[in-house]
Amino acid sequence: MKKIFIFAVSVLFTQAAMAQKLDRSQKPKPGPAPAITFADPVIYDLSNGITVLVVENHKLPKVSASYSIDAGPITEGSKAGVIGLLGGMLNEGTVTKTKAQFDEAVDQMGAEVALTSGGGQVSALTRYFSSAFLLMADALRNPAFPEGSFDKLKSQSLTNLKSTERSTTAISGRVVNALSFGLKHPFGEFETAQSIQTITLEDIKVAYKKYVTPSRGYLTFVGDIKPEAAKALALKAFGDWRGSVLTFPVLDKVSNPAKTEVDVVDVPNAVQSELTVTNLIELPMSSPDYHAVLLANQILGGGADAKLFRNLREKHGFTYGAYSRTGSGRGQSTFSATASVRNEKVDSAVVEFLKEITIMRNERVSPEILQNAKNLYNGSFALGLENPARSAGFASNILINKLPKDFYRTYLQKLNAVTAADILRVSKKYFNHDNSRVVIVGQANQFLPGLKKTGFTIKEYDSYATPIVSK
Amino acid sequence: MPTWFTYKKDKNMRYKFLITLSLSGLFLCASAQQVKFTEYDLANGLHVILHQDKTAPVVAVSVMYHVGSKDEDPQRTGFAHFFEHLLFEGSENMKRGDFMKIVSSNGGQNNANTSQDRTFYYEVFPSNQLELGLWLESERMLHPKIDDAGVKTQREVVKEEKRMRMDNKPYGKFAENIFSHLFDGHPYSWQPIGSMAHLDAAKLDEFIAFFKKYYAPNNAVLTIAGDLDIENTKILIAKYFNEVPIGVPVIKGTFELKPIAKQIVDTVYDANIQIPAIFAAYRIPGMKSRENKVLEMVSTILSGGGSSRLSTKMVDQKKTALEVAAFNYTLEDYGAYITLALPNNNTPLNGLLTDIDAEVTRLQSDLITESEYTKLQNQFENGYVSANSKMIGVAESLANGYTLHKNTNDLNEQLAQVKSITKEEIRDVARKYLTKDQRVVLYYLPKK
Repeated sequence: MKKIFIFAVSVLFTQAAMAQKLDRSQKPKPGPAPAITFADPVIYDLSNGITVLVVENHKLPKVSASYSIDAGPITEGSKAGVIGLLGGMLNEGTVTKTKAQFDEAVDQMGAEVALTSGGGQVSALTRYFSSAFLLMADALRNPAFPEGSFDKLKSQSLTNLKSTERSTTAISGRVVNALSFGLKHPFGEFETAQSIQTITLEDIKVAYKKYVTPSRGYLTFVGDIKPEAAKALALKAFGDWRGSVLTFPVLDKVSNPAKTEVDVVDVPNAVQSELTVTNLIELPMSSPDYHAVLLANQILGGGADAKLFRNLREKHGFTYGAYSRTGSGRGQSTFSATASVRNEKVDSAVVEFLKEITIMRNERVSPEILQNAKNLYNGSFALGLENPARSAGFASNILINKLPKDFYRTYLQKLNAVTAADILRVSKKYFNHDNSRVVIVGQANQFLPGLKKTGFTIKEYDSYATPIVSK
Repeated sequence: MPTWFTYKKDKNMRYKFLITLSLSGLFLCASAQQVKFTEYDLANGLHVILHQDKTAPVVAVSVMYHVGSKDEDPQRTGFAHFFEHLLFEGSENMKRGDFMKIVSSNGGQNNANTSQDRTFYYEVFPSNQLELGLWLESERMLHPKIDDAGVKTQREVVKEEKRMRMDNKPYGKFAENIFSHLFDGHPYSWQPIGSMAHLDAAKLDEFIAFFKKYYAPNNAVLTIAGDLDIENTKILIAKYFNEVPIGVPVIKGTFELKPIAKQIVDTVYDANIQIPAIFAAYRIPGMKSRENKVLEMVSTILSGGGSSRLSTKMVDQKKTALEVAAFNYTLEDYGAYITLALPNNNTPLNGLLTDIDAEVTRLQSDLITESEYTKLQNQFENGYVSANSKMIGVAESLANGYTLHKNTNDLNEQLAQVKSITKEEIRDVARKYLTKDQRVVLYYLPKK
């Protein structure tokens, strides 16, 4: 009865609305805000150090699980590439199943199983999930490490390295980190043909013993499974697993350049240059600055309505997209602003990047801009709930970063309390201008003359971050 | 931030399986559960599809126009995608640049993409902003504002997009070099991104004419999925879209291609690479045909998963390939069936091609095993179940079904179709289409 009545009323309402011409100049107002609710995952601690998180969601007849080992950043040194190869080797068969038998078993169920040095992932239709999950566990616990597979993966790694030798994005990724963190830092080091050549199968086995372990492990189930069933499966697969005890590594601090410098890598085949403006930051998620930095970054370069995009793309047409991002978490990370820019506009683009950063550092953002950024974050938070794995991510973030239990329940409240004065303060603190690093990877003869006029210190490097001593 | 859209092969082998699956998943997504929907037409010809799902407070609002690079003047390649960028420039009630600001400042996300066959615009909002999404898309359909300033800026942006996605990207030129031969005489012979010279030549009055011709409600489908009330949504749709005038019926060009009689061999040089690659591509029927679906299954047998025939033989046993793949580049009128390999250990390209061809020949002569057949069914079912987890994905699948398959319910019928395909059919379709004298072989080599 009630339903029909509502319908009748709304029909009347439309007729009334039709009778009048719609005033299109008025944007429609939002309806009442939807309730944002998310359930905490069920959490179990296994005695060997594994934390099990379960998000029950029966919408689709499917379950996925991931095992993630919180080993922290690993320094590889002269054996750079060993951790990547270890991940590859975990996909090469177990003591009871050759790679061919293992892959056949996974594919037969239409499942997906993938292992890395940091853990593994599995997803399968509900009816096959237990079997697929046990295969993932077998791969993690009982790898065969066959010599033939090792030779194969090593030669693939060398070929892969060669395949990206002229790629500006690959070179830029490597050089930006190497210059920012230094070659001895786990974030700065990179693999070379030489480092891969020196890796032996024994190195892989040593790394496996050290890093693939139940210690600091997080096992997350999401989907069509009951928490008790997930726990039983976790115990069956991993309950009696023992391994080395991990501690989170403490790294030496690295510093920003004393004075802003421009670091150039010449790639003669480049059609576009990769441009990065970056500095090191330290921003634990528990920092009182955390929410303000998220918003400041959003305003500067978080998307299509941010200053960098509006300036470099929509005003100048220098690039398809210009964005910035800030890292966070335990230890040092970076603020960086990036764009792929046609070679001849690089010098102009550098000027515009630095100009927008200067404005963030010196001018208070308008109430409207701040409110828009908050609205975007509030909306994203709601949209994120479409992914059932989201609440498991919240829970493991809280555990890993030692955050207060209500971190995500008060997240929007804290975000909405950020003021324009906060934005100005954190912009000054986290977005450097006078001690920053500009890294450009591209066809140097197209932009070097223009850049030299800007007065910045310019340093040239090869594509492996080795300084080029004067021409 | 509009994007040009195509099916790309990533050379990162770790993602190979995922990418191949999503290639097949994109136009085929269906789930084991039926996706329920309501559909109807407005008086102006706008087709409407509504799907309710209250799991999360999210609503996806989308419009798909049945226009793509296929509809371009051969002297204006890239035009449809360029035009897509211009539809973010504002309307009579929206200043230039306000479109994206309105979306993000109301907590939403938006984008668009253009393929050979259709152009797709969407917003995803918290569900209390449904009406705003309807206003935005109806403003765009009713009276967008396109001016010289927008054309000038977006021309540079689109050219940067081409540089980023094709010219500066390792292996970025394979599709254009294959399609120019495979579809010679059809607009599929050029890529949606177009040529720099044509992008430079495009003029404002041409864009306005293009809008009048193709952006009428009778050439579009409005698809809304998520946390919505069906009856109330219908009322809101009427409020915003009824006043959009019906357009002249769109008559699509038809392009019949003559069969390829003899193998075509070509070589392309790419300055961005060091490792060469070899491609062999076959022209196959379009996405509506059952045979196209059979070829999806052939791809999975050849390169879907670690136990697939090509991966096992060339990557694991002979170790001659860094990557090997077979995939179906599905389009409305025709498709391209593409096999490719990147060598490991300096293996000659012809050796790789011989090995791929041997597996194709085996499919043409012997039936696949019972175990392979079961595997296929499970792989497709898993792909389907995973495909519809997000509202924007459901909206796009429904819109694709209506626009390209002429059947909105297509996504719900896909799995049954896959189950009905026999081993004999797989062999026969491989025999019919994967023959050497009707293919293009492309040697993709490092420049200098």
